[in-house]
Amino acid sequence: MPSSDPLAPKEGALFRKILKCYEMKQYKNGLKLAKQILANPKYTEHGETLAMKGLTLNGLGRREEAYKYVRLGLRNDLRSHVCWHVYGLLQRSDKKYDEAIKCYRNALKWEKDNLQILKDLSLLQIQMRDLEGYKETRHHLFTLRPSQHASWIGFAMSYHLLGDYEMANNILETFSQSQTSIEAHDYRHSELLLYQSQILIESSHLQQALEHLKKYESQIVDKLAVRETMGDLYIKLQQPEKAVPIFDALIRRNPENVLYYEQYLIARQVSEASEKVALFREFQAKYPRALCPRRLPLNIATGDAFREVTDEYLRRGLRKGIPPLFVNVRALHQQVDKAKTIEALALQYFENLTRSGHFSREDADAGAPVEPASALVWTALFLAQHYDYMRDTDRALECINVAIDHTPTLIELLITKGRIFKHAGDAVEAYIWLDEAQSMDTADRYINSKCAKYMLRANMIQEAEEICAKFTREGVSAMDNLNEMQCMWFQTECALAYQRMGRWGEALKKCHEVDRHFAEIIEDQFDFHTYCMRKMTLRAYVGLLRLEDVLRRHPFYFKAAKCAIEVYIRLYDKPLKSEATIEEIDIENLPPSELKKLRSKQRKAKKKAELESAQAAQAQVKREQHQKSKQQATQETDPDAPQLDELVPEKLERTDEPLEKAIEFLKPLQQLAKDRIETHLLAFEVYYRKNKPLLMLQSIRRARAINSAHPELHSCIVRFMKALKADSDQRRCNAHVQQVLDKANQELIGTKTPQQLNDEFIAKNNASILHLYEGARGLYELDASKKDAAINLITSFDLSKLRLEEAIKIYMALRDGDVFGECEAKAAAYKQACHNRFQYARIFRNVEELEAQLQEKVAAKLRAEQEQQLNHLDVSESAGMADAAF
Amino acid sequence: MTRSSIELGDVTPHNIKQLKKLNTVVFPVSYNDKFYVDVLEAGELAKLAYYNDIVVGAVCCRIDSTENQRRLYIMTLGCLSPYRRLGIGTVMFEHILNYAENDGNFDSIFLHVQINNNGAIEFYKKFGFEIVDTKEQYYKRIEPADAHVLQKTLRRKNTPPNSHHQNHHLTNGAVNEKKERRT
Repeated sequence: MPSSDPLAPKEGALFRKILKCYEMKQYKNGLKLAKQILANPKYTEHGETLAMKGLTLNGLGRREEAYKYVRLGLRNDLRSHVCWHVYGLLQRSDKKYDEAIKCYRNALKWEKDNLQILKDLSLLQIQMRDLEGYKETRHHLFTLRPSQHASWIGFAMSYHLLGDYEMANNILETFSQSQTSIEAHDYRHSELLLYQSQILIESSHLQQALEHLKKYESQIVDKLAVRETMGDLYIKLQQPEKAVPIFDALIRRNPENVLYYEQYLIARQVSEASEKVALFREFQAKYPRALCPRRLPLNIATGDAFREVTDEYLRRGLRKGIPPLFVNVRALHQQVDKAKTIEALALQYFENLTRSGHFSREDADAGAPVEPASALVWTALFLAQHYDYMRDTDRALECINVAIDHTPTLIELLITKGRIFKHAGDAVEAYIWLDEAQSMDTADRYINSKCAKYMLRANMIQEAEEICAKFTREGVSAMDNLNEMQCMWFQTECALAYQRMGRWGEALKKCHEVDRHFAEIIEDQFDFHTYCMRKMTLRAYVGLLRLEDVLRRHPFYFKAAKCAIEVYIRLYDKPLKSEATIEEIDIENLPPSELKKLRSKQRKAKKKAELESAQAAQAQVKREQHQKSKQQATQETDPDAPQLDELVPEKLERTDEPLEKAIEFLKPLQQLAKDRIETHLLAFEVYYRKNKPLLMLQSIRRARAINSAHPELHSCIVRFMKALKADSDQRRCNAHVQQVLDKANQELIGTKTPQQLNDEFIAKNNASILHLYEGARGLYELDASKKDAAINLITSFDLSKLRLEEAIKIYMALRDGDVFGECEAKAAAYKQACHNRFQYARIFRNVEELEAQLQEKVAAKLRAEQEQQLNHLDVSESAGMADAAF
Repeated sequence: MTRSSIELGDVTPHNIKQLKKLNTVVFPVSYNDKFYVDVLEAGELAKLAYYNDIVVGAVCCRIDSTENQRRLYIMTLGCLSPYRRLGIGTVMFEHILNYAENDGNFDSIFLHVQINNNGAIEFYKKFGFEIVDTKEQYYKRIEPADAHVLQKTLRRKNTPPNSHHQNHHLTNGAVNEKKERRT
């Protein structure tokens, strides 16, 4: 279709050149050509040329001018598909996909069969998951170009994604019948066949899928996929005997795939544990180097059989010195009797290795060769890890110290010692050991990362960053590089550290950074829409689309989102003062001496602040320069990347609408992590503060469906009742709403009063501290005069039955005074009691004691250094010491 | 002992603290920072010994040019006590001897040992060392303070064999020179 505002032949040729230049990214030439056309007085207002000028400017990163010219062009020629298409492309490069779709649709109004525009539109539709629209566009493309492969594939896929398997399969079937000559090893054809079988399987046409695979087996290149799928289909089609040889062969191909063994056992139709273990024994003999057939029977066997297979497994691991041996068997500890057996075996090894160098007395008596000298240290490490898992800190430390005395150069021992302290509640001592471990092998990135993580647990963010800098790119700050690398564990741990320290803005910044990574990952799928279609990797492509749909289900997102929501709630409950008002203290009521002190303090603070602001200004200048150079760099490589707002902690923590921000993080959780009760408990906290009874109710009901006995749920119900009552005292809500709420009330507590409900809850759950805690909260919440009773309820609980995390939760509630009001004395007493129970936990120790300890450490270090100095003097230049027996 | 492996590995800035740790545990004297700076430059003359992938021993030597001679001086050679009598010292010493023999320009290898350290004296005698001197009050803060000087004369390739020499029985191949830990 001709342009609505045609150019003369000479200018027309120039315009086509502009298009060429744009495709070739010769933006400067493009601009010159555009200038030539626009210089002609007849065409100064020519819409399409102006639009192209704008698009070309966008290619040069001059975004604002780009918008100006494109819009101007469009205004001058609203009936041009070129102008609309260009506007769409510009919006697309700005990631405004919804707007871009509208533009393409307008373009198609004037040029309904333009292939390029249709293709661009389909990409946006699939990116935005407008599946109906995608189907229509693909259909349109199909009718325009029925001879092209891509038309068929896209058409079929659009039906598949909509769940119309029948139609998708029919299209593919027709297509593959029209294919006449198939070359050998045609990967794309092979993928297409497998894709078709996937569609058949998803539509539960298993028999058909099996026949399809059998028929085309020779043409499919991915033999592994064929065997795996066929084996699976035979099992599902109740023909297990045919699956046996398939999985047998698959295990031979890869004896370390757990799934194959599971399928094999199903196919063999064995149900008795002893039979299963016997089958694994066969595999052990067949594949002596494989780990799977040795480890898997530990899950199945019980009693003496378990002892036997575990004995073999542990001996082998300790003999070879496999560092993660304990981690490999940790899952078994969930069964009490298995944990006991493992402990007994390890103790037996330790005793016999110490005495004779054998794992057992039988070995020693039989005169078997002794085990390697390293077996003892690995056994001691294993025992330490075992006791640590059981939270028996004293015995764990005893074992790890034995191990360190035995082999002080084994780095794994230092890591474990740190971990023991971490679990015992001393994050600082834990990090010191990790730092030591890290210094022993600075080329080991695993230990480096672990050390950084432990530092963050001890709230040492700067130190952690410095440690990480040993492995990040040079010339950039480690924090920036880690963000660029989407190093989410680090950022989340940072956020949590800032949260613990009450640096809310910094915590939020880290959470938002993690959120942006997820947005970016979703963004990144754009390239795959064209790539996967072209390469015909359709199974992987559909897998990718489905993954992106649920991306924020990932635990990384959950952790960061939970942190962000908690911080926003905190900021809602206790908003920060604006920066200016912080300084204003009540001066009038101070005695003169105090006033003097205060004044000098203020002077010092002011000086310090001035210095800091000067430094900050300098840093700002530096940052800006950095930003500028970065912008230039990105513009050279990727002109499409839109600029995101900089995350400024001071602004983030002073948001006007913390709850709305919290909801932004909450929404994906409600959608994708709805099987986690924390999601709904967090949701309740947000809606409770927004006073939205229906949404509170929704959260409670969803949480109840997951675990109606969860302790925190009780507190939600009590507060919900309270909120309803306050509400109905004030005003009556909509009759329908009231009806729903009344019904819910009935369902949740019947005719009881909240007090009765709370009393019953306490009586029913008096063996669980977390339940009692929520009960006590309710007690105080409903009647503040019962404060003492509430506190006594939890502080009188038998401490020996308490876990460390529980004790910390309760102590912090008492200490901070935001749950039961001020109760300093009780908190102090509780702290002392907890200190006696959990002697290593830092939170229960006195500041003075910790400081004394620290000073003692510094002094010890000094002494050691002095001693070394002395030794230096002693050992003359040539002194040597070729020591010991070998 | 078929299940165990003994290998030698380089001392690098990344693992030097393992060497320090080892020397601190094994020897009653501690060495200054210069010692460790030099060790990093010593190449094949400083090695860590790995037993089943664990650092359990180390040897550090330097070339001594005093007394108009070119001699190889063993500054330290030691092994953690639970890993003694497993052949680790032999592997380390043979590596050093091998180095000296291949070089061919050493007059001798020598070292100091505390006079009561019979284990070490026996060990070196096995390899043809002899006590050539005893220095009184060699060590300052440890007892006994006297040290024997043990020496093993070598045959120089480039000088006429006019001096006496012994035959050495060498077992090669036990020495694995490169060992990188996971990075």
